Amino acid sequence: MAAPTIFILLLLALTIVLIAVIVFRPGITATRGGKMMAFLVLFALPVLCAGMGGSAELQHAKSTEFCLSCHIMEPYGKSLLVDDPGHLAAAHFQNHRVPPEEACYTCHTNYAMFGGVRAKLGGLKHIYVYYLKTPPAPEDIKLYEPYHNRECLHCHAGARSFEEGAVHTADPDLLPALRANRTSCVSSGCHDVVHNVRSLKDAKFWKGSN
Amino acid sequence: MLSSNPLERNLQISGIILIFGLVVEALCLLGRGPISFLVFTGLGGLTFALGIAYYLLALVRSGSGGA
Repeated sequence: MAAPTIFILLLLALTIVLIAVIVFRPGITATRGGKMMAFLVLFALPVLCAGMGGSAELQHAKSTEFCLSCHIMEPYGKSLLVDDPGHLAAAHFQNHRVPPEEACYTCHTNYAMFGGVRAKLGGLKHIYVYYLKTPPAPEDIKLYEPYHNRECLHCHAGARSFEEGAVHTADPDLLPALRANRTSCVSSGCHDVVHNVRSLKDAKFWKGSN
Repeated sequence: MLSSNPLERNLQISGIILIFGLVVEALCLLGRGPISFLVFTGLGGLTFALGIAYYLLALVRSGSGGA
């Protein structure tokens, strides 16, 4: 368990004990000091605990482990280990082009205004479909909307490999089209092998760095 | 167990609600999946907000009652 989580749990335990003191000995709130303690224990500490706990939960919700904890996502997790540099997701994951501990979130969040909120709402929709509707087979899962180049360009814009790459500069119209999202990075025949969970049974897998 | 003094009784009730909410949040922090996230924000967040609101309301009521 991570150290911040242990700290939050200890703070929660302390707050619960202090609240219990007020519940069992409400008479101590009669004095001025007791009233100040009640404010601290029944307002300030719980707000602090909930804030820190909420922040920890939101941070954890970005983790690769969290995304892959649903059984339906298993093949997508497996696709990150395909031993083929042509697999976009695998190449990004294995070469740390995205932080491996937040691999899913890094590519699938929305880098526009309130993108994090939209990503969280999308996650809630996943849970709704997973538990209350009939979830599709892993290979039939589709994005809610076409993948936007903005998410790729969040990291790649300005990078030499992107700006001066031979294929990218061969056609002078290509870079402006990519920046304007008129030509998709992932569905225009260039980087279109992303997760390809249908073909995983024939794939060779990287064993990992540890 | 509940005090006969109205303010103290309200503080006890808000404390009990808060303890429930904080216990739920603590248990959810131990969980790793989406369900624990949902319970944390839904049940934990709701009872936490309810406990805080009850406490603040008790203070307002006691203030207006004493004036």
